[in-house]
Amino acid sequence: MAILSKEEAQAILKKALGFSKADECEITLNGNTGGNIRYARNEVSTSGAEENVSLAVESRFGKRSGVATINEFDDKSLEKVIRRSEEIARLAPESPEYVELLGPQEYITTKAHFDSTAKIDPAFRADAAAKSIKAATDKGLTAAGFLEHYTNFTAKMNNKGLFAYHPSTYVDFSVTMRTEDGTGSGYVTQDFSDVSKLDTGKASEIAAQKAATSRNAKALEPGKYTVILEPAASIDLLQNMFYNMDQRNAEEGRSFLSKPGGKSKVGEKLVDERITVYSDPAHPEVPEAPFAGDGRPQKKVTWIDKGVVKNLYNTRYWASNKGAVSVPPPSNIIMEGGNQSLEDMIKSTKRGILVTRLWYIRSVDPQTLLYTGLTRDGTFYIENGKIQYPVKNFRFNESPVIMLNNLEALGKPQRINGSLIPPMKIRDFTFTSLSDAV
Amino acid sequence: MQPFTFVRLQYRSGNWDTDPRMPSNLLHSLIQYTTVPVNEQEKVISLESSELFNYPFSYMSGHKLVQFNQKERQNFETYVRNGGFVFVDDCNHDIDGLFAKSFEEQMRQIFGASALKKIPNNHKLYRSFFTFDEGPPTTSFELNGWGDDLVHDYLKAIEVNGRIAVLYSNKDYGCEWDYDFRNKRWLAEDNTKFGVNIIMYALTS
Repeated sequence: MAILSKEEAQAILKKALGFSKADECEITLNGNTGGNIRYARNEVSTSGAEENVSLAVESRFGKRSGVATINEFDDKSLEKVIRRSEEIARLAPESPEYVELLGPQEYITTKAHFDSTAKIDPAFRADAAAKSIKAATDKGLTAAGFLEHYTNFTAKMNNKGLFAYHPSTYVDFSVTMRTEDGTGSGYVTQDFSDVSKLDTGKASEIAAQKAATSRNAKALEPGKYTVILEPAASIDLLQNMFYNMDQRNAEEGRSFLSKPGGKSKVGEKLVDERITVYSDPAHPEVPEAPFAGDGRPQKKVTWIDKGVVKNLYNTRYWASNKGAVSVPPPSNIIMEGGNQSLEDMIKSTKRGILVTRLWYIRSVDPQTLLYTGLTRDGTFYIENGKIQYPVKNFRFNESPVIMLNNLEALGKPQRINGSLIPPMKIRDFTFTSLSDAV
Repeated sequence: MQPFTFVRLQYRSGNWDTDPRMPSNLLHSLIQYTTVPVNEQEKVISLESSELFNYPFSYMSGHKLVQFNQKERQNFETYVRNGGFVFVDDCNHDIDGLFAKSFEEQMRQIFGASALKKIPNNHKLYRSFFTFDEGPPTTSFELNGWGDDLVHDYLKAIEVNGRIAVLYSNKDYGCEWDYDFRNKRWLAEDNTKFGVNIIMYALTS
């Protein structure tokens, strides 16, 4: 039941829509099946599977709207959920930002569903964990990891003629390894749509290597350093930046893209000219749904082109209100990189710090996009092109905008958190204090 | 009127060549906010050289040991007693660090145990151009986010004839202001404004 084909989903949506008496009605059906395995202290502690399908109805009378959800699909239940959403809609106040539902749309094709991932079974999960644990025990380390995978579908239909259906798969793996004395730690994370690209043993060796070589870290003085940020270190800062490119926030003065007088920085050079960022649901490495949550088509959109801000996303209300092109928020981030390997970047560094991961990131100032957080799980001092020794973790205060202005080099983009991000060499990254955490 | 020159003091012990981009940010602010004519390049002058006496403002910083030789000590004292202004900034932002301990010892030896004093946060320094009602602005190096922030909420000074002659900071402004000047536009508030106050105080008091 959990994964419905296009025809099965269409049949349920049509039937439910048949019960609607509202002016406008849109129904969304989401389903997933998935599993996970968790291990700690080199032993599996949890393994599970889950599946669910749920249906959400939005009914509208004029500018009033109500939503109800259900996960039973017999005729009586479908009628019940429609009636409930209608009752709520009648009680709701009018929305001052009402926009009519979308009619039929043209969507591009994206391949985000892979049988390899859909077929993952408990034996596969156990084997994936075993390979990772072996990478730890071979080096006398302790691993704690998590692997989860999903097969999803989403389908949407409304009484204006819109229909959308998209199946996808996803696997996410991460492991932290520690030395027995607790003074060294390493981390790796990988995610794919196609699980045949995941080798948990090989990935875990990276974490093991980092843990084994990060014992007995030395303290360096906080300050501004050249850093090499692996994608796991920069992803959160970059996502915070690119998912903050909302047109309304910019024009209402609440964002790093605001200019005085209700203008935005579209058309202005914001960052280094080597930075080009786009989203593309059809990208084979990071495939996503060809439609946004509100049914708008998703296609390739360039957000930053050679350092210049090109597009901001908006709601349909804001787009029509401002006479702007309607652009849904990105579902993935693809940042163009260079051809340098991490090793090349280290070789060309006279004095710097290699950062595996940043975590515990919190916003300090939304208008300059200043964030604070900590390094973790493998922080190393580089001198004269070589990693010299592990260093104690730092707290940083930095803005991704400043970071992308201080660019020295870009590596080859890698998939992380559903996006493609290159490792980066950045000068003057601000570390403000030391952390005793390992 | 001679253009203002940012003089950095070179001394033989420890390390004097810190925060290389800091002066250009301060000079940029002087041009932006004031009408003071400036020399665009900082000037490094050995504390052993009498050339120092041609300039009313100088800057000294470091992380390591401060131990003046006889000539350095003599020049420092003469400069200060004759109306020069030295802004001294501790790059360790740590009152227990080597720079702090050894520099304070030098001051004790030259000017006496009670010469270096905390100045009140309503001192004229904090109103000499911009107004800082709460005293010296905090730097990001003092706010570590853990709630145990080690903020030094005062500056110290040696005053000569009622005027600051040695301004001493454990706040590491040098590091706070050491960035590519193009990145200044991303700051919510220009953090070098207090630097303008220091220079304006030195030139006008």
